[in-house]
Order: sequence, then C-alpha cells, then structure tokens
Amino acid sequence: MKWFERIFRQKFPLATLTIIKRRGCGGMDELAIQTDWQRWLEDHAPKFLLFARQQARWEADAQDLVQEAVVEAWQRQGDGAPPPPALVFATIHRRAIDRARSEDRRTGREQAVVEPQLESWFDTSVEDRELNKLIQDGMNRLSGEYREVITLKVWGDLTFAEIAEALGIPANTAASRYRYGLAELRKLTKKVLT
Amino acid sequence: MNDREHELFEAELRRLQPAKPPEELMTRFAAVLPVRSQRTEARALPAQPPEIWWVWLRWLAPGLAAAVAVVVMLMPWTKQPSRLAAVNASPAPGTNNVEIDRQLVAAFDTVAQMPNGEPVRFRCREWVENVVLRDPAQGVVVEHRTPRFEMVPIGFEIY
Repeated sequence: MKWFERIFRQKFPLATLTIIKRRGCGGMDELAIQTDWQRWLEDHAPKFLLFARQQARWEADAQDLVQEAVVEAWQRQGDGAPPPPALVFATIHRRAIDRARSEDRRTGREQAVVEPQLESWFDTSVEDRELNKLIQDGMNRLSGEYREVITLKVWGDLTFAEIAEALGIPANTAASRYRYGLAELRKLTKKVLT
Repeated sequence: MNDREHELFEAELRRLQPAKPPEELMTRFAAVLPVRSQRTEARALPAQPPEIWWVWLRWLAPGLAAAVAVVVMLMPWTKQPSRLAAVNASPAPGTNNVEIDRQLVAAFDTVAQMPNGEPVRFRCREWVENVVLRDPAQGVVVEHRTPRFEMVPIGFEIY
C-alpha cells in the first residue's frame, strides 16, 4: 500500500487520504460493502425513524429527515462505510431544528390544512399492542427534552456521552434529564404498569 | 422512584422494539446508498435480455479477433521477410513461445479529501504482468515482470 500512498502524495500533496479496504478481489469489496450497509440499515433504521418521528411534525418529514441524515453522515464520514449511529442521531436532531424553523415561517393556513399523521412508533405485536399505545401516549405527553434523551438511551442504545454530543448538552444534563424523564413517564403510565 | 423501580421500568421500555420503517423508505435508501436490497435484486431480474446479449458478445469478440488474425496472416505482404529481419544475422526467438501472465495482486478503494474539501473516491488495482519468451532452439529464455497499477477516480454521489 505504501507505493500507492507515495504516488498519491506526489500528485496531491495537500489532500488527505484514507484507505478503505484491501482484498484480493474487487467484486468482493462491493459485495462486502453492500452487505454491511444492508445489515446496518436493518439494525439502525427503525431507531433513527423512531427518533425522527418525535422530532418532526409529519411522517413524511420524519422519513425525509432519516434519509437526509444518513446520507449526510455517510458523506461526512468519507470512507464509504456506514457512519456511527450517534452521528446520524446528531444530524437528525440538527436538521429537525432547521426544518422546524423554516416551517414556523410558513403561513398558518397551510398548517391548518395538513394534520400531523400518527404512526405507530413501536412494533405492533398482539401482546404488546396496549403497552405500545400506552408508552407512545406517555412519551407524547412528556416534554421534548425528556423524550429525546429517553429515546436515544433506551431505543438508540447511546451512552450519555454520545447523547450529550448528539444533542449539544453536557453529559450530566443528559443523565439527569433521563432520570427525571423516566420518573415522569412512569407517573404517566402508573395506572397500568407496575 | 428508587433504583430497583428505575431498572424495572427501563427493562419494560426496552421490551418494545421501534417499528420497522416502511418499504418505501428502504427503497429510497437503496437508491442513494450502496445497499443490496431484496427489492432491487427482484427488480434486476427482468433485465436478463441485456445480459444474454452480453454473453453472446463475449463469445463473439474472441471469434472476431481470431478471424481478423487469420485474414492478416493470409495477406500477401505478411509472407515477405521484413528488411529488418534480413539485416539481422541472428534469428529472433520464435513467437509461438511467448507467455503473458497477468495477476491481480491487490484491489482496494481509497477516499481522498481534496484541499477544497471535496471527497474523491479512487478504485485501485495492482497487477503484475509476467512475460516469458522462450526459444528452445537457441536455448534462450527471457522473463520480464512488470508491476502495473490502475487508479480510477469515482465521484461521490451528491445528494
């Protein structure tokens, strides 16, 4: 690989270089990347969409947010591999704020015509259908600050440090919001859950 | 809410799984990301006729090349000895004993960040070409190994 780096440095002295993969066959590279992406999307796309649904007003906006954030994080990462989930969550959060600001400038008439769509946030298996509805209702009644931290921690599998980075808050704040938010959510669902 | 209650409630929440995204969103991902989805594979099936044509072309190309070679060999001027061959006293090694072996040593992708911030992806292939020329009559074996690499820039799809 050194020969390549040497030649590259001669041709592009100011450029930075990242070697992605080295394998015996180019076809295998493509296949491995495609398989990695497929697996990564199956694992993480539901979490991203759950978070985006809480950040956006409409379902279509939530799906757009997820797609835009994944593509942006992938391009920013720059090595062709799937980006870290924390980076995608952070991008969803930032883009949702930008989108909300631009939407606020729209006319009230337009907002009155289009009603937000209520999609189910969780898998609707028969035994958990009631629980799903209960938690979704409780989450909707929580303040946004608590809701996003709980979502990133419980279903996004992020650490408090990653949540802090994604939301632009101190890690201690993320931890305390999680604790207070969880207590609040439990109060809202107390009649049914133990 | 004590720690025990906290953990129990957290475990209760973790039982819920986020809903799977609609198929439409996954299709949109497949269009912009390097994803091999079942849907895109299924869509690729009706595209078989071009592949069949490609198979025919692959057989046709060597046949055509062989036909051209035969025509060139049968042309009258190719049978006359060249002036260079007449001047050269020592006979050249027989051209029937030339072996060319091309090996793919490595293949990898790289991404470079240009000074203006634009990312560029390169597809790199490292080859070694080994040419062996043998003339048993004169007892001559000439072997020449040449490393060669290809560097093809591939632009990023900007969304």
